[in-house]
Amino acid sequence: MTTRDLVLAALFAAIIVALGLLPPIMLGFIPVPITAQSMGVMLAGVILGARRGTVAVLLVLLLAAIGLPVLSGGRGGLAVFAAPTTGYLIGWAFAAFTTGFIAERVVRPSQTSLTQTLGFFVAAVAGGVVVLYAFGITYLAFITGIGMNKAFIGSMAFIPGDVVKAVVAALAGRAVLAGYPLLPARA
Amino acid sequence: MDIRFEQAGATFGDRVAVEPLTLSLTERRIAIIGLNGSGKTTFARMINGLVRPTTGHVTINGLDTVGDGEDVRSQVGFIFQNPQNQIILPILREDIALGLKTRRLPVAVVDDAVEAILARFGIEHLAARRAHELSGGELQLAALASVLVTEPEIVILDEPTNQLDLRNRAQVETTLRLLDESVLVISHDLALIEDFDRALMFHEGRLAADGTPCEVIAEYRKIAAP
Amino acid sequence: MKSLYVEGDSFFHRLPPRPKLILLLVASLALFLTRSPLLLGLAAGAAALLYSSLGIGWRQSRIRLRPILLTIAIVALATLVLNSMEEGIAVLLRLTTLMLLAAAVSATVPIGDFINEVTLAARPLERLGLVKASDIGLSVGLVIRFVPEVDSRFQQLRQAHQARGLKVRATTMIVPLIIQTLKSADEIAAAIDARGIRGQRQARNSEDSR
Repeated sequence: MTTRDLVLAALFAAIIVALGLLPPIMLGFIPVPITAQSMGVMLAGVILGARRGTVAVLLVLLLAAIGLPVLSGGRGGLAVFAAPTTGYLIGWAFAAFTTGFIAERVVRPSQTSLTQTLGFFVAAVAGGVVVLYAFGITYLAFITGIGMNKAFIGSMAFIPGDVVKAVVAALAGRAVLAGYPLLPARA
Repeated sequence: MDIRFEQAGATFGDRVAVEPLTLSLTERRIAIIGLNGSGKTTFARMINGLVRPTTGHVTINGLDTVGDGEDVRSQVGFIFQNPQNQIILPILREDIALGLKTRRLPVAVVDDAVEAILARFGIEHLAARRAHELSGGELQLAALASVLVTEPEIVILDEPTNQLDLRNRAQVETTLRLLDESVLVISHDLALIEDFDRALMFHEGRLAADGTPCEVIAEYRKIAAP
Repeated sequence: MKSLYVEGDSFFHRLPPRPKLILLLVASLALFLTRSPLLLGLAAGAAALLYSSLGIGWRQSRIRLRPILLTIAIVALATLVLNSMEEGIAVLLRLTTLMLLAAAVSATVPIGDFINEVTLAARPLERLGLVKASDIGLSVGLVIRFVPEVDSRFQQLRQAHQARGLKVRATTMIVPLIIQTLKSADEIAAAIDARGIRGQRQARNSEDSR
């Protein structure tokens, strides 16, 4: 990684942390708070691409692991990795990677802004919803013993919120691409 | 100090930032002036190898900025336009120590050097502060300390008084005057550089004037208000 | 962002960072080996005792621990309803213990020491060519350093919206926030290279240098 790539990843990690400072909204019964922070994960992939985006997310997780209050609601420390929702945290890294991987390949500078936005949306949904929930639901089912079905049904309520986040991430990603293009990633 | 440009120029893509020029700088206090976008920052970045010459060579005391990049950068410190972006660790003391730690010096040596540099700039009271909380003037001094702690021979400052209030500006001016290191200052603050040993003016990527600050500032005024 | 470190002279403060981190790691595994309310209760009591020896104070502690405690309570309750009383209590005690231990470690290890530990832990990965160990510490420092900058940019943007009578929308806030923040990357990277912080690495001309 060049110094610039390293700094870009670190700055994006700072953005993800800052998004977590916005107040989270609790919805429903399942203990997954709705936060702007998970949108930051989609944004990392969409804007920085697979490699740098994943590094950005891993940095946030590392900071949390060493006990800094970087996750939404001021959470941090190894305790957050021992919760039933940990699957979603671990899934972040894979979500950012998938989103970035698709975004890098689908979105081209020559396309119209609508095509680019759609490309980013598909990438954000694939990473930030499909991959993320695969990790989150599997882990939830495993650690509480409530079974995949219950875990899936319980988590479904959150999918619409995350699809909305994917829309915002796609629009924002398109606008950033126009103002400060970093894709396709050079490194 | 001996900075030499031998037909050295820099282009980014097809844009010429600095046209090839040949020049030798040996004075202790040198000013670089010019309009925005005139190439002065690129010129300064060529001195410590941050920008590589696309033609010719740049040498510092005989060391090539491309071939001996690391040695050159340890001799030439650089204070960027926005000191905010220069402090890269949260706590000032840690940031200042960072440049020394990468040289794998013993902890005690690092600590002593950090204390010495803090004392030199009279900013011991800032050591444990978070970089984010420092004022503009404090940040500028902190950035200077973080660079000078590694004992470079030459320090380049890019608009050190930009956006500072009068008191902070005066403090930076005094600090600059008292530096033992050779200094190269890029500035729009003409009063700051009046008593320098030499001044260079860049215009549209070319070295357009070279002489005493008095002469060069007169040329600059002509260009700025034709 | 405020580091959770608190000045102090307790026993746990004086203990070097590594044993503390190892203790936390071992505890996070060991606590899942038992479901006994007695053992877990003892562990929680010991963790509480340790935490209270640090002199953090009630108000600070409430600010620090409440959000995590809330999540733990909800999780424990959910487990209690969906599984059993025993499981619910086990989850509550386990996670509370971990939370207190983690909080105790965070409160007694300064960021610099943390970075040193993480860097050392990454050395084996470096030998595999996966990462440059010193980069990890550097990036962790960078993130901590720039969170407050991002946050104050966010506040400035919010005020700019208000001053111009614009409605604060996700995209109109996030896009300039990201562009402004990422644009400073060039200068920060140049500063790191200029100070020789990453060692040998050669500077490279970039389109964005002026």
